Parts: sequence; C-alpha cells; structure tokens
Amino acid sequence: MLVLFFIISIILSLSVYFVNNKILKRLFFFLYLCLLTGFNFYIFAHKNQIDSKYFKFDSLGILLYSVLNLLAIIAFYHSYLYFKRQKYTIKQEAGYYAALIMLLTAMVSAYFSQNIAVLWISVETTTLFAAILIFFEKTKEALEAAWKYLFISSVGIALAFIGILFLSITASSNGMTDLSLSHLIKTAHVMNPIWLKMAFLLVLIGFSVKMELFPLYTVSIGAHTVVLPPVNVLLSTALMNVGFVSIFRIYTIIAHTNILPWAKHVLLFVGLISIFLSAIQLLKIKHYKRMLAYSSLEHAGIMAIGLGIGGIGYYAAILHLVLHSLIKAGLFFQIGQIYHYYKSYWIKDTSDYFNLNPIGGLALIVGFISILAIPPSGMFISEFLIFKGLFITHYYYIAVFLLIMLTLIIYSLSNNMLFLLYGQSSKKIKIKPVKSVYYENVSSYILFGLALYLGLNPPPIFIDLIKAAIANLN
Amino acid sequence: MTYLFIILYSITLIYFALSERVKKYIWLLVIQGILLFGIVFFSLSKIEILDFIFILTETVLVKSILVPWFLNKIRKHNHLKREHEPSVPVFYSIIVVVISLILSFAISSQLNDDQIYTKYFTAAFASVLFGFYFIIVHKNIFSHVVGYLIIENGIFLFSLAVGSVMPLMVNLAILLDVLMGVLVLGIFINHIGNTFNSIEIDNLSNLKE
Repeated sequence: MLVLFFIISIILSLSVYFVNNKILKRLFFFLYLCLLTGFNFYIFAHKNQIDSKYFKFDSLGILLYSVLNLLAIIAFYHSYLYFKRQKYTIKQEAGYYAALIMLLTAMVSAYFSQNIAVLWISVETTTLFAAILIFFEKTKEALEAAWKYLFISSVGIALAFIGILFLSITASSNGMTDLSLSHLIKTAHVMNPIWLKMAFLLVLIGFSVKMELFPLYTVSIGAHTVVLPPVNVLLSTALMNVGFVSIFRIYTIIAHTNILPWAKHVLLFVGLISIFLSAIQLLKIKHYKRMLAYSSLEHAGIMAIGLGIGGIGYYAAILHLVLHSLIKAGLFFQIGQIYHYYKSYWIKDTSDYFNLNPIGGLALIVGFISILAIPPSGMFISEFLIFKGLFITHYYYIAVFLLIMLTLIIYSLSNNMLFLLYGQSSKKIKIKPVKSVYYENVSSYILFGLALYLGLNPPPIFIDLIKAAIANLN
Repeated sequence: MTYLFIILYSITLIYFALSERVKKYIWLLVIQGILLFGIVFFSLSKIEILDFIFILTETVLVKSILVPWFLNKIRKHNHLKREHEPSVPVFYSIIVVVISLILSFAISSQLNDDQIYTKYFTAAFASVLFGFYFIIVHKNIFSHVVGYLIIENGIFLFSLAVGSVMPLMVNLAILLDVLMGVLVLGIFINHIGNTFNSIEIDNLSNLKE
C-alpha cells in the first residue's frame, strides 16, 4: 500500500510541475492533501502491520505521520496565501509545490522504514528536495545556504552510511545482509561493542544535520534564514522528526546491549552542548528566523537529554517532540505574518507590533509562552518530566546547568519578543498599510490550542501511542 | 589479483595529492571507478548475472563514465584549469596521504576481526580519511565534490570490507540517491559560478549576522 502511496505522490508531483494551468495545479495539490489525510486513516486501521516488506506502521511512525499530515495541510494553505501576495511566475510556483510534495513523501517513507538502509535512502532523498526548496528564492544567500545544506548533509549522511555498514557486520544471514530493525534488535546482544559504538557515533553525527542537533546543526540554521515560512515550518518540525526517528531507531538497537549506559552519556553530552550553544547564540541574536532556528537547537538538545536519561525521559522526549512540532510551526507562521507587515526579518526593523495586529500579537504571546515552557504550556509538562528524570537518576549538576541555560534562553527570547510587541524603535519605521489578514491567525491558534490540550490533558490514544513507541526500549 | 587492484587504488590517492589540475582529478576518478570494478570482479566467488550487471553499472557506468562526464561538463562551463594557490603545499599533502595509508594499515592489522575483510578495510579507511583531507585543504567547491566522491568510493570499499550484501532494489535506490546528489551538487556549482563569477568557497560567507 505504501508503494502505491509513493507512486501516486510522484505522479501528482510531476503533474503539478508539468501542467500549465493554475487551477489544475491547485487541484493536484489539493488531491495530494486528500491522499495524505486518507492514508492517515488507513494507517490507524492497519497499526503494527508490515507493509511493502521494508515498512511498518508502528506507533512512533503513526504519531509523527499524524503531525506531518496536520502541518502539511496548514503549510499548503500558507504557501497558497504567500503566492497570492507575492509575484512569482507559474513555473516557480509549480517547482515549489512539486518539491514540497516530494519532500513530504520522502519524510513519510523515513517515518515508517523498518530497514535501516531504506531509512538512509529516505533521509538522503529529503536532503535533495529540501535543498531545492532552500534555493527557491534564487538570491545569493539562498544559493549559499542551499549549497552548504546539500554538501554538508551529503557528507554527514555518507558518514551515517559508514555507521550503518558497521552495524551490518553481524547482521548477515543466508548470505544476505538483513538490516531490518527486528533482526538487528534480535541479534544486538551478540554484536561487537566496539563496532556498535562506532556505528552509533557515526549515525548520530550524520543524522544530527536533520535533527538540528550538535555537531552539524549549523547548516540548518543557515537554511532557515532564507526559505519561505511554510518551508521553515516543515524543516524545523517534520524534518527534525525525521532526524529524531533515525537516531531513535539506532538507539533502540543499542538499548538491547550492554553499551546502553555509554550511549546515554553520549546523548546527554550532545544535548547539553546543543543547549549551551543555543543559549550563547540567542543572547546576541538579530534575526527572527535564526532566533527560532536556535530555539529548535535548544529543544533538540532537550529531547537528546530525555533519551539520555532513560525511563521517564523516553516518554518526555517523544511528548516534547510532538508538542515542539506543533508550537514551532505556529510560531513560524506568525513570523511569516510579521514579514508581511515589516518586509524584514531583522529585529531592528520591527517594533510595536501589538498595535498593528492585535490578534496576531496575541497569538505570538501565546506561542512564546508555550515555546518557553512556562505553565500552562504543554511543553512545561514534558520539561518537568525531564527534570524529574534528571533528579531520579541523580544528575543534579546537569539539572542545575540546564536550569541556568534555560533561564538565559527565556531571558533572550522574551527580550526580543517584548521589543517586537511593545517596543518603540528609535528610528522611524515605514509600514505600508496592509490588508487585514485576521483569518491567517486561525492556524496558529489551532496549533497552540492542540499543543496545550495534548500537554495538559492528553487523550488515552495519544498516551498509548507514545507508550507503544517506547515499549521496545525497556 | 585483488591485492594488485587495491594497491593501485591506494596509488591513485597519492596521485590525487600530487596533482593540481582539475582535469587530472576527473581522470583519476575514472581510473578509480575501473579499479573498483576490478576489485569486485576478482573477489567474486561465483558470478550471478543480475549482480554482475549491477556491479558493472555501479562502478564502470556510473563511477567512471557518467559522473566524470558530468564533472567535465561543469569544468568546461566554469573554465576551470588548475587549483588556484592550494592552501597546503603538495609536499605536505603527500605526507598526509602516506600517513593516512600507514595509519589504516596499522588499524586494520590491529582489528584482526573475523567478521571483516581487512584487505579492503585498509584502502577504504585511507580513502575516507583522505577524502576529508581533500575537502578541507581545497578552496573551491568543485574540488569539494571530488573529495565527496573519493569518500563515496571509500564507502564502496567499506561495504566490501564488512561483506554487506543488500537486496538489489535497496542497492539500486542507494546508487540512484548518490547519483542524484552529485547531479544536484553539480547544478549548484554552475549556479554559483554564474552568480559569483568564481567557485571559491570564500564567496560563500554572507550568511552571518
């Protein structure tokens, strides 16, 4: 069934690209959204079933697919609004939608892959289409960002492939290398720990480019600076989840060996460095998109720490992943609106936003409270659980360090946000009157509301999905 | 026989360090592709026709015909002749290659693991190390792609070293992905050449605050 899904997606993407009629193009991407949504019901009905040999509709995949589905619908809606406002040729618009459809499809493939090699192929494919979307504006900056993203990702993912080859050393049976997760988990305990350690390190470095985690996070920060807001949303939510899934799958194998404590320490270290770097960078931030990109680095770090603690941390990490996707998406849509008013993403070019657009301003306040994990934000719950885990496992120093870093981050983000909302700029800012766009805020309110609901009062089906996703770890 | 090809492959790495002409890099990649075919061909115990066609496609068709041809087109488009002022003198590069070869020999003999074939492992490890070194010392992005391809060739040898035999469909998809990646990288080189009138990495430093 999944193969059929891929084929239809490719056909739709090609049709969007080659058909020269605006209405037909929109019809095609509307059809793609219908396909995504329909498939969402299908996977819920076929939970835990193997599909097309290399894929399985497991709980983590289903959870992240549902998030992707929701975000894709909203991203397409905002892309539509963006293109209505800006002057682009039909050809450019077609290229954008075609690449977007392919990016989404590659991400779906990564979520459900049960074979590490297929997972690798999907991740590499996301790189190609993400690079095309990054280059969309064709400016010098876009070119630079796209080059760096593509090249560093390719090299990083090549490293991850070496890691996968090391993993395959013990995975041979009947002359064929069986890289399916179930087989690797079964044979994990007989693997040579040295190879396994090297494999984990290489995979972590390689896929960190997708998860926006230390060490290869820098290229995605550059990419965020130049892309359109709807692409921002997908890069720092759905694509970040791809990175998480990739690292999580390998981690699941490690969890069945006696090098688990070592892997946990590595993740704790990577997480702490990420949060530290993000806190330092945020203190001197001057650009709204970079600000949110560094905030993603921070949250990726928190998820890595969640995995590093184990136990309650696993649950918290996945809860954090889902909530972060929803909230960060809403905030990026708001940043897109701010651009609509000020025609700039630089902090110095903005001020007094609340008077200009009270409804959007209120959405921003809600969004920032949520992303900073201040109660009643849903993220407060996940971060609280992570701190609880840190204290249970006696990592007191790490908890204190983390608290200091989070305080710094809260300070810098609130500083910039309050300036944007209520600040009075010393220089005169010219603002062209724009048509009221209140209905565009609806999507952000929906996302923030959903994050609040899932955090504070999670429905049983949501909890079950998370628990099933981490069942393999314990 | 396999040993001969592996040694020849290691020699191409030294040649990479020696040469400064872009055209030579492309020729060396062609030779590496053919050598890789030789290595696989002589290490096969039995030949199955489907696998044979795939290996032929991967090494000869893609690695030594398609990719070099494409790189040559890019070279002509951007009027590349030789590396401008390599940041590290050739002499040091040769020392680095030799050290990386010795290092990989030492590591392979240390490993002594039944599960891997050390003869491939040596060349693979040296190739990946040298690919990274190649990327770091060169200042133009064309050479970066050449370095990436050296790493890819090293990975090909790694997959032999660990005896990894994946299903044909998976192998094909991996090959297609890497090929697409190189093609898109090449297209971006042309864009960068047209926009900045040069493909030096120093141009790409606008993305700062």
